[in-house]
Amino acid sequence: MSTHFHCDDTETLVAYLYDDIDPITREAVARHLPGCARCRDEVAALGGVRQVLSEWTPPTPALRFTVVPESAVSNVVTPHVPAWQTVPRWAQAIAAMLALAVGASVANVQVRHDAAGWTVSTGWMASAPGAVAAAAAPGAEAAWRPALASLEESLRREFAARPALVAPVQVATAEAPAAASDSAETLARVRALIEASEKRQQQELALRLTQFVHDVELQRRADLVKINQGLGQLEGRTGAEVERQREAINYLIRAGLRPPQ
Amino acid sequence: MGTIDGAVTGGRGPAKHRVPPSKELLGLDIVEPSAAAERTRREGATFTVQALTITDEELVARSMDGDVDSFNQLIKRWERPIYALAYRTLGREEDARDVCQETFLRAYRAINGFKGQAKFSSWLYRIALNLCRDWMRKQRRQPVVQMPEDVDITELASERGPVESIETLVARKELGRAVAIAMAALPEEQRTAIVLKEYHGLTFQEIADMQGCPLSTVKTRLYQGLSVVRRQLEQGGMSVADIRGDAS
Repeated sequence: MSTHFHCDDTETLVAYLYDDIDPITREAVARHLPGCARCRDEVAALGGVRQVLSEWTPPTPALRFTVVPESAVSNVVTPHVPAWQTVPRWAQAIAAMLALAVGASVANVQVRHDAAGWTVSTGWMASAPGAVAAAAAPGAEAAWRPALASLEESLRREFAARPALVAPVQVATAEAPAAASDSAETLARVRALIEASEKRQQQELALRLTQFVHDVELQRRADLVKINQGLGQLEGRTGAEVERQREAINYLIRAGLRPPQ
Repeated sequence: MGTIDGAVTGGRGPAKHRVPPSKELLGLDIVEPSAAAERTRREGATFTVQALTITDEELVARSMDGDVDSFNQLIKRWERPIYALAYRTLGREEDARDVCQETFLRAYRAINGFKGQAKFSSWLYRIALNLCRDWMRKQRRQPVVQMPEDVDITELASERGPVESIETLVARKELGRAVAIAMAALPEEQRTAIVLKEYHGLTFQEIADMQGCPLSTVKTRLYQGLSVVRRQLEQGGMSVADIRGDAS
């Protein structure tokens, strides 16, 4: 806040220019300007720049940004299911067997059954794979068979039970009341979504109609300008033609008036 | 955008011939904004009666409670000014649109962190300016001036007012282009100060808070920026005094 203004105080000059200034300082600048041509010119020039700046207008595209919470959408439309649950059980069983086989071959698992009972050892425990294989060759093969057979049987039982476990979704939901209420809720959500979508489409249609009307109006105005330009050119050409004809008639008249030689 | 909490959607499309929805067709009653600046109004910000009765702060509070519609109302209020800010800072329509969209997405994600010390609009401006700065740093370049080389008279004819001649309109477009070129040549701080003051009507104090500098620095930046623009225009053969006389 100052009661006196100095010519080199450009900050105050800018504050005065934008009228973002306290009243006392504004008064001081206002008192100074009539007597100082330099400051007066400066304020006028900067004011002129401000005027020119106002001619810079940005385009006005249709933005219409809208936030759509993805969590809400994904809950309704695409419920999150772990990827492994989408694989059928039989495929899961095969994958498990393969993983077991690969693991066993990598670890060089040895299963033996002798008088001391079942013995399981791995290649890491054995001193040399060749020696283990040579020592256990005939007995081990016999010991493997019942184990393999029991494994096969258990897998067959599981496969046989599979259709009962993987019942159709509709049946399961019809039987379970809790699942039925979930289904009704989902249905309600889907309906709400469809209604919202319809509303959006109606708004979109209204917008498109407005744009169409606007486009037609633009085209009409542009056509009017072109017609005006065309008419102007035509008028110019017609004027020139009339002028030429007038000159020709004048020439003929002059020629007609010339006395015979 | 599968990993984010929300998505900001917005129709992309040609900027030409797009108009805001008609109030008759959409059943909106469009009235003058009470507090927004006249320039903001001219740049397309429209407010419904219902929207006017609710302040930004109330909408922010509702948004914090998870009301997405309230946040969408805030977007509706501020997308034009934010787009204009980004456009004048970056100079390119597509980039301005992207920055505008990202601004609202970030604001939506961080709405619970908005403490209300500053106005909501100032907070948005700050986010948008930071994004613009990042964009320029990433691109390692100055803002561009994106304007057609030739002026299409038939297109201009649709934009002119009832009493404005085509010649005046062409001159006005040329003037706007000259301003865009002059502004693009300014250092970022000066350009931002001018844009915030001239086109968005912020106070010196608000600009100082946003730019993180003293009040006096903002005024100096404005003075220097305006002086440079004036020199640029005069070098381009325009006398600012004459222009002022013509325009007024």
